[in-house]
Amino acid sequence: MDALVPALVGACKLSAKLILVIVPLVTAFEVLRHLPVFRRAGNVVEPVMKGVGLTRDAAIPLFTGIFLGIAYGAGIIIRVAQQKRLPDRELFLMGLFLATCHSVIEDILIFMVIGGSGPAILGLRLGLAVLLTGLMARVWKAA
Amino acid sequence: MSEAPQHPAAGEPVPDFPTRIRTGLYAGFRTAWKIISVSVPLYVAVALLKGTPVLELLGGVFAPVMRLFGLPGEAAFAFVAAFLLNLYAAIAVIVPLHLTPFQVTQCGLMMGIAHNLVVEGGVLSTTGARGWVLTVCRLVIACAAGLLLRGVWYLWGEAVSGPLAFLGFS
Repeated sequence: MDALVPALVGACKLSAKLILVIVPLVTAFEVLRHLPVFRRAGNVVEPVMKGVGLTRDAAIPLFTGIFLGIAYGAGIIIRVAQQKRLPDRELFLMGLFLATCHSVIEDILIFMVIGGSGPAILGLRLGLAVLLTGLMARVWKAA
Repeated sequence: MSEAPQHPAAGEPVPDFPTRIRTGLYAGFRTAWKIISVSVPLYVAVALLKGTPVLELLGGVFAPVMRLFGLPGEAAFAFVAAFLLNLYAAIAVIVPLHLTPFQVTQCGLMMGIAHNLVVEGGVLSTTGARGWVLTVCRLVIACAAGLLLRGVWYLWGEAVSGPLAFLGFS
């Protein structure tokens, strides 16, 4: 019983945090996604995305996940997957990329604080993510 | 629930500003709820597990494996904390171990890839991707990355210390 109270308090905090991040994020995305800037940014990232088997539809969820992490990124991922009907293949490739390389800023900063090498961690994670997703995209061909 | 079919290529009709805010808020709360309904029960389950000897047992099992990554056996407890809870719990275990900068980097790399697996696995599933496959991938990738970093570190040490010793530095 003693463990239950902190667990439930933590659960409430987690829920509050998720709501506070996801709701403004999804709202901002809805408001901004019609702007021409988004379309142009899409053109810029398209060739990069192609290398790892993804289309521009996956760009926003991918970058959200890379910077903010899986839990908050998932808010945008679910939303985009509904709107654009991302195929299974693309969802998996994006998931694989994010599995290796997500929430980079927070994760790396906290390890730099206790004496780790930020560039080494970032370089290896990004490199592995690109390598693995690129490989997987060639193994699992687009239908 | 049902959304009008959209044709991104043809350019979908742009709704006015208040409509976009309303859509965004509605979709935001729905998505947040979807994620909360999956992650909160998992979070509670893991938090309750913390009060049992399960974490200690797991740490004992993984301790011998740590050597492979150039880490002391005690680091296994940090990995169990990272896998099941989060990086902050892992850091709390790491700091008193007084690891070398290489070892901290190693922990940061491996734990950065694989942490909070239970809750995030649930979240990944809600996106429609295969959550458990991706979770297994994270564990495997974390191990591969750890071995890779250790290999690079070893070669780097050889490459730097060799010539230095040759030149009379040590």
